[in-house]
Amino acid sequence: MPEFWRRLGAPIAFGALALLTTITMVADRRGIRDDARDLPWWQAIVLEITVPVQKVLLAPVDSVREAWAGYVDLVGVRDENARLVERVAELEEANLQFREALVASGNLQRIASMRDDFEIPMLPSEIVGLDVSPWFRSVLVDRGGDHGVRSGNPVITDQGVVGLVTATSGKAAKTMLLLDRQSAIDGIVQRSRARGIVRGRGTDELEFEFVVRNSDVREGDVVITSGMGGVYPKGLRIGVIRDVADPGGRLMQTAELIPSVDFGRLEQVFVMLRRGPTMDLLFGASGDAEPEPIETSPQAATTTETVQSLSEPPAS
Amino acid sequence: MKQAALLLGVGLAALLVQSAAALVLPYPFCPDLGLLVVIAIGLYWEPLPSGFALAVVLGYSTDVLSGSLLGQHAMLRLVCFSAARLASRQLNLRGSLPFAVFAGGLTIIYAAALEAQFAFFTGAPTEVGALGRTLLHAAVNAFFAPVVASVVERLCSWGGDEDVARRSVRFDGGAIR
Repeated sequence: MPEFWRRLGAPIAFGALALLTTITMVADRRGIRDDARDLPWWQAIVLEITVPVQKVLLAPVDSVREAWAGYVDLVGVRDENARLVERVAELEEANLQFREALVASGNLQRIASMRDDFEIPMLPSEIVGLDVSPWFRSVLVDRGGDHGVRSGNPVITDQGVVGLVTATSGKAAKTMLLLDRQSAIDGIVQRSRARGIVRGRGTDELEFEFVVRNSDVREGDVVITSGMGGVYPKGLRIGVIRDVADPGGRLMQTAELIPSVDFGRLEQVFVMLRRGPTMDLLFGASGDAEPEPIETSPQAATTTETVQSLSEPPAS
Repeated sequence: MKQAALLLGVGLAALLVQSAAALVLPYPFCPDLGLLVVIAIGLYWEPLPSGFALAVVLGYSTDVLSGSLLGQHAMLRLVCFSAARLASRQLNLRGSLPFAVFAGGLTIIYAAALEAQFAFFTGAPTEVGALGRTLLHAAVNAFFAPVVASVVERLCSWGGDEDVARRSVRFDGGAIR
């Protein structure tokens, strides 16, 4: 037996491990398709250990970044302040006009229901680590199942959509960014309402594809979530169109999109503690379909104002 | 056993450092320390079955901390470990330059294999523009490879000089016969 193992131990070990990895890959893929749940205990342990270690590792990086950002921010702060004061005045004026117009058109009921739509409990979370594989784009946030976060919860910032929670442990959650090549969102052009799919390319840019050839899509157009995918609420900013490709003889046109969120400087995000109907179908709606009560985390709060500021402005 | 645990710890620490470094360094410029550790283990770690196990555990850890399917990196790291072991039997990869070139080349093959896996499981088209970034990333990995190799070599030889010596004697004997 020892002689047998000495001769064939290595090939057997290699074959067994190769088979194991293949099986886990297929099983994981099936899990994503069928009924993905929280991470199994051993994966959860890895994430749980990672979060505090990452926080320690990030402390010096953060302090250097903050010091630098503080210096950079100070430069030209007076000019920026003056500009912002002017802008706030303009926006207040516009806001007042919109309110007047809405009241005049008797749409108060619609406004009330819109408020209800956007009153989603949100949990502030910090990014504690980026994907360890350069070929995938995901982040690790420091809030997990114990705080009410579940797979399928959308993740946003005040700038727009960040991504989607794909796996959770007790105190951490893995979030797939919009930039990942596995990410696809139903989006519409805010100006012309042209629809398409926003797909990650694995780089810092997005692709807006499956847009009907004669749709009105121009450089500089803002693309927002359509709400049609049943994952993200309608009206969250996704990005701005940078370049529209010539469709040639094709029926569909594509465009390059610059994400609204600056993923290079992503530090804090909000996890929306409510999943859309599609996510409930994908991840299973039995029992745990309703979001955890907000009391599970003292940090969770309904940040209506934040989401409203992200939403598209009412049509003039 | 102690050495294996130590290597495992170094491999996991490399992943965490890499993840933190990625916040400052964008993708092509951030070295894939986890991959480099596995390649170096392939070169310096003697017992094959436990080496396979180390590579797979480090691969699974990468999968957990990444957006990939569970097992994607585990399988490729197992192959990388084996490739490093096979190559070290035919070539002298102990020097800094040969190891750097080998690690850079393996990074490109790794990226291609990952792309193939990705296409197989998701049906997504291959991103041609990624080639330039992959080449740059391979160069960065090649730059950092000798440092990682020297750390792994020290750990492998720490309290286990006999193994290294025995291995070289056996190779020499094989060549004479």
